[in-house]
Amino acid sequence: MKLCRAPGVLVTYALGSCIGICLYDSVIKLGAMVHIMLPNAPQGGNDSVYKFADTGVKEALRRMGTFGAVKSRITAKIAGGAKMFDTFDNSQWGNIGERNAKAVKDALRQEGIKILKEDVGLNYARTLYFESATGTATVKAYGKPEKKL
Amino acid sequence: MDLKKYEDKNSIGVDVLKEIGSIGTGNAATALSTVLGRKIEMSIPEVEVIGFNQALKKLGGPEQVVAAVLVQVSGEVNGVMLFMQDLQFINIVLESLLNKTISDYDEIDQLEISALTEVGNILISSYMNALSTLAGITMDLSVPSVSINMLGGIMNVPFVMYGYQMDKLMTIRGRFRCDGEEVFSRLLLLPDMESLDYMMKKLGVNVE
Repeated sequence: MKLCRAPGVLVTYALGSCIGICLYDSVIKLGAMVHIMLPNAPQGGNDSVYKFADTGVKEALRRMGTFGAVKSRITAKIAGGAKMFDTFDNSQWGNIGERNAKAVKDALRQEGIKILKEDVGLNYARTLYFESATGTATVKAYGKPEKKL
Repeated sequence: MDLKKYEDKNSIGVDVLKEIGSIGTGNAATALSTVLGRKIEMSIPEVEVIGFNQALKKLGGPEQVVAAVLVQVSGEVNGVMLFMQDLQFINIVLESLLNKTISDYDEIDQLEISALTEVGNILISSYMNALSTLAGITMDLSVPSVSINMLGGIMNVPFVMYGYQMDKLMTIRGRFRCDGEEVFSRLLLLPDMESLDYMMKKLGVNVE
């Protein structure tokens, strides 16, 4: 998880089934990017909160709060959650991207954060840029046109 | 004593894994050479316990595009095998098998995918076959899947699979040279913790 103020740009490279969550408070132009790998944290706590959708979102919002962000102003943009191997059909791992996307959306809904834009699913890796000056997220993928969120 | 973390492996353990890697990669190289009709050499395998970001650094950059073949290993040993290749290596394969070359990944069509999958499958199967014979272990291999994409997204798959158990993975990496020329090709075995223990025990290695 990284925080940054305008005019900084946050980036996370080649998101596969992982999801990049961009959180933004437009008034103070504070951006945060969380890169989660798995849906829900196991019971009993763990040391890597940002690895999981539920604990990652919660902790990022808390950190943003300590830097002056107001929760009711924070909005989200998400990207990632791809299925990297098309024919890799394992009920547990085949659709992990989809499960990640669902967990992220659930976590954000629970916190009352609105998702403005999303680019999730399909079968390719994405590099995600997030500009804290404007709140614009840009998705770059191999062989695909650049996408603004 | 059962091992709980990969880091607990002592140096004998690492040597054994290198040997496993050598035998596997050697067999794979022979098979590859037969299929392609080219001279294939292999490197000494690298055995390392590494995290996701470190793994990307060792293998190339996160945004480097590669064609990867993934096979899931189950049975007495569980894990993932990945074979990754870049455009140059793909062209060596396509030239030998289909008598054509391509200039970009987007020219890869069904026929090319099929050829690459098959070569990946042959490599991985001969690797695992050697390992199975050596240690007397029975393993099942899944049907191979292919993905042509950024390295970061591909390497993500095994790390996500074991993400609930650990942050670092044991990687046994081999690479090939074709006709004396270094080409980007990586054959990775990523066994889970229990399987590593099991393999060691089968080979009669004291890992304490």
